[in-house]
Amino acid sequence: MHGVIIMATVKINGKEITVQDNTLILDAARDAGFEIPTFCYQADLMGIGSCRMCLVEIEGQKKLQPSCITPVLHGMSINTETPTVISARASMLEFLLANHALDCPVCDKGGECELQDMVYKYGPHKGRHAEKKFKFQEKDYALSPVIIKNSNRCVQCQKCVRVCAEVVGANVLGALGRGDHQEETSFFRHFLDCDQDGNCIEVCPVGCFMRLPYRYRTRPWDLKGADTVCPYCGTGCRMVIEHRDGVLIRSKAQLGVGLNSETLCARGRFGCDFASSTERLKTPLIRRGGSLEPASWEEALGYIKEHIPVNIGNKMGGIASPRLTNEELYLFQKLLRDIFGSPNLDSTARWEPEATEGFIKATGMDEGGVSVFDCMESDSVLVIGSHLSDENPVTDYIVRRIKNTRRMSLIIASPREMKLDSSATIKLRHSPGREAAVLDAIALAVNAGKPSPAEGAALKDAKIEDLIASAGVTKGAVEQIAQRLLAANSIAIIAGMEFLRHPEGIPELGLLKEALKSSGKKVLVMPALDRANQRGAWEMGVHPAFGPGYGPVKDKGLGCAGMLEAANRGDLDMMYIAGADVAAMHPDEEFTRKALLKLKLLVVQDIFLSETAKLAHVVLPGSSFAEKEGTFTNQEGRAQIIRKLLPPPGKAKRDLDVIRAVGEVYDPSFGPKMPVLVLDEIRNAAGMYAHVSLAFNNKRNTENKLDNRHALVQGSATSALSVTRFSAATTEPEGRFHLTTGNHLFHSGRFSRRSGTLLGLLSAAVVEISEKDAASLNLKSGDKVKVKGRHYEAILSLKTKKGSKEGVAFIAENYDDVPVNRFFKKGEPAPRVDITKVTY
Amino acid sequence: MLSERAKKEIEAALRKYPNRKSAVMDALRAAQKDKGHIAKDDMDEIASILEMRSVEVNAAAAFYTMYNVDRPVGKYHIQVCRNISCSLLGAEHLIKHMERALSIKTGETTPDKRFTLSTVECLGSCGTAPMMQINDDYHENLTEAKIDELLKKLE
Ligand code: SF4
Ligand code: SF4
Ligand code: SF4
Ligand code: FES
Ligand code: FES
Repeated sequence: MHGVIIMATVKINGKEITVQDNTLILDAARDAGFEIPTFCYQADLMGIGSCRMCLVEIEGQKKLQPSCITPVLHGMSINTETPTVISARASMLEFLLANHALDCPVCDKGGECELQDMVYKYGPHKGRHAEKKFKFQEKDYALSPVIIKNSNRCVQCQKCVRVCAEVVGANVLGALGRGDHQEETSFFRHFLDCDQDGNCIEVCPVGCFMRLPYRYRTRPWDLKGADTVCPYCGTGCRMVIEHRDGVLIRSKAQLGVGLNSETLCARGRFGCDFASSTERLKTPLIRRGGSLEPASWEEALGYIKEHIPVNIGNKMGGIASPRLTNEELYLFQKLLRDIFGSPNLDSTARWEPEATEGFIKATGMDEGGVSVFDCMESDSVLVIGSHLSDENPVTDYIVRRIKNTRRMSLIIASPREMKLDSSATIKLRHSPGREAAVLDAIALAVNAGKPSPAEGAALKDAKIEDLIASAGVTKGAVEQIAQRLLAANSIAIIAGMEFLRHPEGIPELGLLKEALKSSGKKVLVMPALDRANQRGAWEMGVHPAFGPGYGPVKDKGLGCAGMLEAANRGDLDMMYIAGADVAAMHPDEEFTRKALLKLKLLVVQDIFLSETAKLAHVVLPGSSFAEKEGTFTNQEGRAQIIRKLLPPPGKAKRDLDVIRAVGEVYDPSFGPKMPVLVLDEIRNAAGMYAHVSLAFNNKRNTENKLDNRHALVQGSATSALSVTRFSAATTEPEGRFHLTTGNHLFHSGRFSRRSGTLLGLLSAAVVEISEKDAASLNLKSGDKVKVKGRHYEAILSLKTKKGSKEGVAFIAENYDDVPVNRFFKKGEPAPRVDITKVTY
Repeated sequence: MLSERAKKEIEAALRKYPNRKSAVMDALRAAQKDKGHIAKDDMDEIASILEMRSVEVNAAAAFYTMYNVDRPVGKYHIQVCRNISCSLLGAEHLIKHMERALSIKTGETTPDKRFTLSTVECLGSCGTAPMMQINDDYHENLTEAKIDELLKKLE
C-alpha cells in the first residue's frame, strides 16, 4: 500500500471534509474545527476507547460511537453536538464523579485539572448518587521520591500505564482490578525503582499521579512560566519552566509541542531546581592570599586586564561549556581569536579535538541537520556507540514509540544492556571500545567478505574472523545484521559518545556509511550527544581546528588536553574556562589539577564553585539557562530558543554580558550586545545558520506535528574537516573487568549534582556489571563492593544487569564522591578493575 | 514459590502459544492449584518465566474474580452470585444466612480455615438462580435449607 493514499469524504455537523481514509473521527472533527472532549485519548498512545467522553452520533447507527477509536468511512455523516451526545457526556461525567473524592481544595491539580474543566463545561452540576463513595485508600501514598499517588481521584483512563509501557518502556504500572475498582498503580503499590521521569504524572488528567517535590507548594495560577529547552542532553526537549516568587518550581512538557511532545526524562522534569540552588555564585571572586574572596565586577575585570595582555596569543587558552548558548559560544571564540589572538579553543574536557573533528565529519554534521523522525522513517535503524536509554532518554522514547508502530528493524550494538533492547530486532553485545571492529565486520559481511571500493585500503587485509574475535561477537549475529541492512532501502545510524571515548571507530563509521551508500541505500546518520548544546559549540567554532560553520581557521590551536599539557610544561600561562568543569571531567584528575595549578592566571566563569573554579584566580558568576535568552542546537541540528524566566541571582550576570565585559576591557566596541544581534552575526559567519527559521519555537501546535525541519541547520559550504585514524587502544592486562563510563539516567556530568531532587533519586555511587559475573563472584544487586584499579579504588554499591556483556564494569561519570576519572591515567592503557565484596 | 508441578504445567502451556506472555492465564491457574490462591512471589516467578513485568501478571490476575490474588482462601471457597437475577431471587438473604451459619462476614475465612465466603458477579447461570459456586462446582436453585444441607456435608 506504500505511497497510495485513499481519501474519504465525510460530513461532520453538516460540514463536508475530505481526509485520509482511516483517520479517526476525533482527529477529523478536530481538523474541521469541532471540539470533542476526551480523557483516555492521547496522540502517540494506542487507543483504548475506555472513557467514553468522546462519544458521537453517526447517522444510521443506533448507538453512540467513541470517536477516538472509530475511523471515518467514506460518506459518513457524523454529529458531535446533538442532545443525545450532550446528555451522554454529562452522564459519563456523573459516573466518574460517583466515586471521585471531590477534594479539589487540597488537590495539587486544582486549576489545571481536566476533570474540573470538563465538569464545568459539560457536566451535570448535581450528582444523583446517594451511595457511599468507594475509596482506594485513606491517605496519599508515595510511589517514589518524586511521585505521590491518590487513586481516589482516578478516571481510569490508563494513560499513565500506557505512557510507561509504550513510550518510556519501563512498564512498571498496571491497571489492577476492573470497573470502578480498577487502580492504576505499581505492583502491590511498591516503591518504584523506575526511570523516575514523571511522564505518568504529566499525562494524568487529574490529581492521581502527582509530583512529590511540588506538593502543596503553589497553585498553578500563581506560577509564571517561560517556554524553553531542557539544559541537559542533546535531545533538545522543549519544556516550560515555572517560578513562584523567584524560585524555579517545576518544568513540564506540552502536548504536541517540541519533538518530545508531552514527555521528558527525570533530568528535564525534576532536575531544573539547580537554578534556584542556594549554592549559586552571586558575586565575582578574586584569589587573595590563599582563598577566594568576594569582589566587585570592576575589581575582577581590572584583575584580568592587569594580568592578560591584549594579543597574548597562544600563551592563552579558552574552554567554553557545551551548555552555553550559541550566542555565548560564538562570542567566546571571537574573544579568544580576535582579542587575545589565541587559536587554543575547546568545548569539552573529555575528548581529543582530533576525535571530535573526525566524529563531526563521519556523522556528517557539516552536511546539515538530520531529523530523528526522518531516521525513524527508515527501513532499518542501527544504534551504535550510544547507551541511548540513559544518555538520551527522550530519543529512546521516540525510537521505541515509532518502532512499535511500523514495520522496520532496530539493531542495537552495545556492551551494556539497555531498556531499548526490548524493542530491538537484533541486539549485539560487543566488547567495550570495539565499535571499530563491529563496524568493519558488518561492512565486510554486507559485501560478502570483499570490501567495497569505498572501504579500500582500510579493510584490504581484514578478516572477518579476526574482527569478530576482537569485537567479542559471533559471526552469525554479524551476518544477521548484514542481512537486515541489505534488505533495507533506507538505513539510519544513530552514533553516540562511545565513538569519542574510543575514536578508533570513527573512520569505520564513515566507511560503513559510504559502503552502504555505494550499494544504493539511502543512509542517514544522526549523532546522539550528551550535552544540550554540544553541536552548537562545535558549529560556533569553539574548536582548535575549525571556526564557525566548520570553516577553516588561520592557525590551528590546542584542544583541552593539549592546553593542559602546555600548561604543565610552562608553555601556556593563562586560561579562561567558561562553564566547563575541567578538573572533574578531564580523564586523569591528578594531572589536570597539577596542570591547572601551574597557570599564572585561571579565569573561571560558572554558576557554581566547581572543582575547577576552586582552583581559579578569578571567578566570574554567570547565569543558568533559566536566566538568559539565546539558542541551543540539539544533536539533530535543530536550533531552538531558550528563554529567560528569572534574573541572574545577586551580582551574577548573563554569560553573554560576562564574555562581552571581558572583551570590552580590551576593545570597547566588542560585541554585539544583544543575543539576537549575535545570532545575526552568526548567520553571516556560519552559512549553516543563514536560513534557519526559529518560527516554530514561538508556536504551540495542536496538530501534534513534532518535526519542524525548517529549524534544522543546512550543510556547510566552507567545511574543512578531516578524519584522523587513531591506533587501537590497549587495555591493561590485569583485572577482571574492563571499566567504562558515561552518564547515569538521572544525571548529566557533574552539573546535575546541584539538583536536590536528582540527588535524592540517586545518592550513592553505583557500579554496574552483568548478572553472570555477579553470580560467579557470589555478589548480588545492592551489595557494597570495592572496585580496585591500578590508580584508585572506591567502595560503591553493586547493580547487576541480565543482558550485559561479561567482563564489563560501568561507573557513571557523575559522582563527586567517586570521581571515575581517578581510575584513568594519561598515556596509559584503558583501566581494568577488580571487584570484591566488602564485609563490615 | 511455585511447585514443581506448577512449573511443569506452565512449561507445557508455553508450547501452545506463539509468544510467552500469552500463557499468563494458564500460568496463573497452575499457580492457584498449588494452594488455592496466588501469592505475590508466585506472580514474580511467573513474570520471570514469561518474561513479563510482575505488575502485568498482577493486572491479568486482578481482572478476574476466579483468581484469588494474594488472598488465601479456606478449603472450601464459596462464591455467591449477587448479580441481578440472583439478587431478584433472594441472593442477599442467602448471603446473610451463610454469614450467620459460618459466623463470618463476606470476604472472611473461618478460623479453622475451612470456609471462605465471597460474593461475585454473574456466573452465567441465571436460569437456575440463585446460585453459588463452591470450589469448582455450581450449586443452583438455592434455598436456605439446601445451603444448610450442603454445608453440613462439607463439614
Ligand atoms: S516515572 Fe516513568 S517509568 Fe516511572 S512509573 Fe512513571 S512513567 Fe513509568
Ligand atoms: S492515574 Fe491518572 S492517568 Fe492513570 S488512569 Fe487514573 S486518571 Fe488516568
Ligand atoms: S535530558 Fe535530554 S532527554 Fe531528558 S528532558 Fe532533557 S533534553 Fe530531553
Ligand atoms: S477519549 Fe474516546 S473513549 Fe476515551
Ligand atoms: S445473575 Fe447470578 S448467575 Fe447470572
